[in-house]
Amino acid sequence: MKTLATLLLAAGALGAQGLDMNALTLFKQPKDVWPTYNGDYSGRRFSELDQIRQDNVDLLKIEWMYRVPVGPQRGVGGPSIKSTPLLVGGVLYFTIPDHIFAINARTGEHIWQYDFEDKGGHLVGQRGVGMYRDWLYFETPDGWFISLNAKDGKERWRKKIADEKLQYFTTMAPLVVKNHIIVGVGGDAMDVQGYLESRDPETGELQWRWYTTPQKKGDPGSETWPNEESMKHGGGMTWMPGTYDPDLNLIYWGTGNANPVFAGQARKGSNLYTACIVALNPDTGKLAWYFQVSPHDTHDWDNVETPVLFDATIDGRPRKLLAQGTRAGWFFVLDRTDGKNLVSKPFSGTGNWALGVDAKGQPIPNPAKEPKVDGSMIDMPAMGATNWPPPSYDPQTELFYLNGQLAYGMAYLYDTSDKPEGYGGGGGGNFDNRSALLAMDVRTGAVRWKHEIAAGGPGGGGMSGGILTTAGKLLFTGDSGHLAAFDPANGKILWDQRLPGAVSNGPSTWLLDGKQYLIVGAGDTLYALTLAGKK
Amino acid sequence: MRLLVCFFAIGLALWAQEDVAPARGGGGRGGRGGRGGGRGGESTREFLGLGPAPDAAAAKKGEPLYKQNCATCHGDNARGAQGPNLVRSVVVLHDEKGEEIGPVIKNGRPQGGMPGFPNLSADDINNIGQYLHLQVELAANRGTYGQTYSAVRSQVSGDPKKGETFFNANCKSCHSATGDLAKIGARYAQPSAMQSRMLWPTTPGPQHVTVTTASGQKIAGTVRTLNDFDVAVVDASGAYHSWRRGDVKVDTEDKLAGHRALLPKYTDDDIHNLAAYLVTLK
Repeated sequence: MKTLATLLLAAGALGAQGLDMNALTLFKQPKDVWPTYNGDYSGRRFSELDQIRQDNVDLLKIEWMYRVPVGPQRGVGGPSIKSTPLLVGGVLYFTIPDHIFAINARTGEHIWQYDFEDKGGHLVGQRGVGMYRDWLYFETPDGWFISLNAKDGKERWRKKIADEKLQYFTTMAPLVVKNHIIVGVGGDAMDVQGYLESRDPETGELQWRWYTTPQKKGDPGSETWPNEESMKHGGGMTWMPGTYDPDLNLIYWGTGNANPVFAGQARKGSNLYTACIVALNPDTGKLAWYFQVSPHDTHDWDNVETPVLFDATIDGRPRKLLAQGTRAGWFFVLDRTDGKNLVSKPFSGTGNWALGVDAKGQPIPNPAKEPKVDGSMIDMPAMGATNWPPPSYDPQTELFYLNGQLAYGMAYLYDTSDKPEGYGGGGGGNFDNRSALLAMDVRTGAVRWKHEIAAGGPGGGGMSGGILTTAGKLLFTGDSGHLAAFDPANGKILWDQRLPGAVSNGPSTWLLDGKQYLIVGAGDTLYALTLAGKK
Repeated sequence: MRLLVCFFAIGLALWAQEDVAPARGGGGRGGRGGRGGGRGGESTREFLGLGPAPDAAAAKKGEPLYKQNCATCHGDNARGAQGPNLVRSVVVLHDEKGEEIGPVIKNGRPQGGMPGFPNLSADDINNIGQYLHLQVELAANRGTYGQTYSAVRSQVSGDPKKGETFFNANCKSCHSATGDLAKIGARYAQPSAMQSRMLWPTTPGPQHVTVTTASGQKIAGTVRTLNDFDVAVVDASGAYHSWRRGDVKVDTEDKLAGHRALLPKYTDDDIHNLAAYLVTLK
């Protein structure tokens, strides 16, 4: 313990230090560390720091900025920072597809970078690195899982975890749980099977693999597929980091949409465990419980949005809970010990793609709202009501926040054959599209307040990036090319900073040398903000 | 003007087919999503990392060879029959120029009950391989869907009579079948594109607002920027004005009020009937 304290003290001086694994906690990470994608295991993205508060937020200014030295990337154009930087030992580690950067958190000075040359895969996003002691873990677009030395960015080893030739691609920030590095995969252009893996931190060897769809007839969930062909090509990707409750020893993960994406005629049934929230044992990869958000999904509604863990008192009883604001447009609150449902409520439109909910609280899809050759309309955006950018739960307001979209959309079926492949259809139109920051009551699912932006003109705008709430009674997120601070109690804008690009990642915060920093990525540049005059 | 309309029609058709993110807001689509279509899906192929495009000429020569030699077991379009689906085949997906497919065709897979085809020439095998790659392309590359499914996308199932009744009851106060919408049915290559535009015109023209300043001065103009923080307009004389949003009152002209009001009211039948009616206006 003494050594540990010395180490932590030494971290005051700059220099790559290993991560003290005690920094990985459910709710209370140390103030000078951001050790995992969501900061802590809960995914609440609530910080107890309150140096930056409502009464001094006006003094917030840009301390430094760092622009990634990388040009346009294949198929996507200019680089976009979607990762949340880790902060360990005064060094920030963040990524874009194919690249990792280590920079001085105090100054933005470049320390090292790691460049990878992919041989395929999608460069649509990269969510960041995972860290275990002295080592970093990174996923490349074409399915390589790479470990590096945090000190200098030198590669230790690489393991192939997904086959880009089958149209898998990998973008996830690995989640470190005890001696498990949990890695997920993406890819729904061809009809492949989703899975989640646990790898050894020292060797990269496989510890377990959990498939999101059954392997064969007779396996649990196989009754929700017509045949083995459909389940083995049934999709269900795992492309966002999950959350973890150390006391219950369960990891929580969202799974992607079923495949073929829009053409569901050859996969009749609810298609377990696609479009679900699942709880797994991190030591074995065994399924503890599941809750299906979009049974037999035919709208490309990946259910990978962060399953956020929080504790609250409901009807006088302290409860361990999980909340998710989903791409399918519904908000859910579950008991995270057993997956039992407390709240199921649409937040975008009326949820008219569903006929209602079943006894478990899961939506019952309306067959009439499946994609049709000449279109079927839903009263939410065709592409989904929210997406991967991190939401937040603030224990001070007991509200759940997300950036969402309100609109009407159409779903079309193109491939009407009995053997559709790939997408087989498409989502069309976001009619009357409105971008909004929404605050949901976790007891009822009611939208307590909504900040719907009135934008227009070529300079238009919309909400962007993820959300951070803090004990300083502030909510940070992106709005129309600005970084903005909202009052989490009522949605009033308290402060804003214009940036050259829209906020593209989840903002994060930590304390260094007694000074609170706010870190945010917007396009190809990372910004650090502090209070003016604060030494 | 005719050209412009055509351009919009194509743009919309692609928009409906491509799984494209809304232009702004929402923080992007994350781990999924196609990018714009482009001719023959070039840009989508680049985005997806699908590698080199199939050789269309070779695939064309390969098609009759495939039908003759392979279709009985692997299905008409290679999606499987009693033999495996080749569009999902790891061998096919790993192959680039016949190096993986070739030996399997030549030697067969005796353990799996597949005979070899030693009499097929190297050219034949290459052509069959390219035909298979084309089948993969047509499934995986969403940028090709517009072309592949253009007939499906042109189907109209609604009842034009009922559509006319709906039109007369709901649209006539702003639109006319013999005026602004005359020949609307001839202006769109695909009814689905027209249907999208009918539901929500994405190009309603410049947005007009009236800004009232703290002193009560009113300035009308065309919006340059309008968001939570800023408002900028160009007035009739061409002069540019801008304010902090919180300092002024902004009244926005809503050209789409009628369309907005209908969105929550439509049944899918209403939409299909209305589209079926509008395509008859030629």
